[in-house]
Amino acid sequence: MKLIQFASITKKIALASFGLFLLLFLPVHLGINLCLLREDGGEWYRNASHFMGTNYIVKVFEIVLMACVLLHIVVAILLTIENFMARPVRYKVRTKTKTPFMSRYMIWTGGIVACFLVLHFINFYFVKLDIVEGKYSANIEQVDKAFQEKALKLQKGELNEKDQAALMAQYQAISQISPDKMDKGQKNMVNLTKEEVEIYCGKDFKHKEPDFYTMSQELFAKKSYSFIYILVFLVLGFHLYHAINSLAQTFGLSHKKYSPVIEWVSVIYAVVVPIGFAIIPLWIMFVK
Amino acid sequence: MDFTLKIWRQENRKAKGRFETYKISNISPDCSFLEMLDILNESLVDKLSHPVCFDNDCREGICGMCGLYINGHPHGPDSAVTTCQLHMRKFSDGETITIEPWRAKPFPIIRDLIVDRTALDKIIQEGGYVSATTGGVPDGNAILISKHKADEAMDSASCIGCGACVAACKNASAMLFVSAKVSQLALLPQGKPEAAIRVQNMVAKMDDLGFGNCTNTYACEAECPKQIKRSNIARMNREFICAKVASEESTKR
Ligand code: HEM
Ligand code: SF4
Ligand code: FES
Repeated sequence: MKLIQFASITKKIALASFGLFLLLFLPVHLGINLCLLREDGGEWYRNASHFMGTNYIVKVFEIVLMACVLLHIVVAILLTIENFMARPVRYKVRTKTKTPFMSRYMIWTGGIVACFLVLHFINFYFVKLDIVEGKYSANIEQVDKAFQEKALKLQKGELNEKDQAALMAQYQAISQISPDKMDKGQKNMVNLTKEEVEIYCGKDFKHKEPDFYTMSQELFAKKSYSFIYILVFLVLGFHLYHAINSLAQTFGLSHKKYSPVIEWVSVIYAVVVPIGFAIIPLWIMFVK
Repeated sequence: MDFTLKIWRQENRKAKGRFETYKISNISPDCSFLEMLDILNESLVDKLSHPVCFDNDCREGICGMCGLYINGHPHGPDSAVTTCQLHMRKFSDGETITIEPWRAKPFPIIRDLIVDRTALDKIIQEGGYVSATTGGVPDGNAILISKHKADEAMDSASCIGCGACVAACKNASAMLFVSAKVSQLALLPQGKPEAAIRVQNMVAKMDDLGFGNCTNTYACEAECPKQIKRSNIARMNREFICAKVASEESTKR
């Protein structure tokens, strides 16, 4: 039975194309994460996430990425169901045929990664979408600008009593701000809860950004989280090893000349990228 | 040698099947698997019970009629042989051997271990041929074919259509069979004129018949008695992509 009315090869190519986009994105994500290893109080990392959060081209790619994640999972699940239904009566003796490592377990390794992605989205992406509350940072210049605008209004006598009181409270709060709420470069207020953003930056401040640096440090401080994180990347490595080989086969690239190269690429990618990610919690636990 | 056989018995397509256990003894190690079943069947007929039905024809590994799922392997534990070419010396004395029919939605059971593999013929009918015009016989050497291409095409053409690839695949996919049939023609100049529509039609038929989608696990390649290679599948994917992108022809429904 067909759940999606396309040719089987077309469906495979769709799955592989969505997967390919994810493969291209992972090293970008890794590059940003590796900024966490710098002892700069999160300067590089915050700059990178500021860029990723505000650049318009990146915003377009963000939509493409989310679509690819969703479609990869949806097509994978539908294909797996279709394939299961192609053998309504199963064998009594389980297959003894030798097949390449991990090729039979793609839906399981992928499924584990998908579960982690849900957690990951709750922890980070949904904070950006303002669905879940997290920690925030605010650029001091922008806070200052907003403050000056209000001060000007005050001089002209355009502020009502309530707003005047709020402005005074904000002034007092900022002058007494504790040093752990400022980043090393003194460019941003960081580690703010939603209430603190209101206190320090004013109620109608529009430029708050999620403080992914603080949030990731807090998560990696938890041993259990770091453990799960490392485990998930091990599983992802297994997924990727077969995925790259499989992708080449699906695109028809398996070939006397290319196949050995593809084999090497998949081994190197599937080892280097997951290790790159896993180094970060290990570093924070054991080196920092 | 002595064996315990667990064999799938099913009266017809609709009937509910079950495993029956048989003991068989004094089997020569040089007996073929099908001869062993012949001996079992003789003893069953002697007892006036119905013999175990199984497909076979040439018994020399060339026709593709035989095919049993033996102890978790299509065509049994030996590699690169059909069931008729499998010998009892590949089993150990006293072993329990479980024999099942090919299991796939497009292969309904006819009786016991015989399945209906018409589905594979239907795929061939969609394009596994070259159209020939009548007239004078063309000179055999008029079209140049490189040795490499001729060898590759010959390898692909050695598929006997047994369906072990479908039986082995966890998705009951027929990609190895179809890709061998697409390849043997796509590689040769004679097959080129109809190549673009052939691959689209054969894949469409394969999908309609209810075979699963390939997930590149290569169980087919591991069990194929004729050692058809997975590179055929890659070639078919390539042919399919090129046909979809570059050809004006597409499958008519
Ligand atoms: C960062 C995450 C992921 C990347 C980079 C990735 C990449 C890939 C690639 C490149 C393929 C090969 C496509 C082909 O067979 O030609 C693939 C296959 C597959 N992926 Fe993923 N994937 C990811 C996450 C997931 C998730 C979350 C699932 C969840 C269900 C999943 C399930 C599958 C399945 C079932 C296959 C098919 C395997 C096959 O055809 O053998 N993947 N993946
Ligand atoms: S590809 Fe191999 S296993 Fe499949 S039908 Fe042809 S000979 Fe049999
Ligand atoms: S009976 Fe012909 S191949 Fe086995």
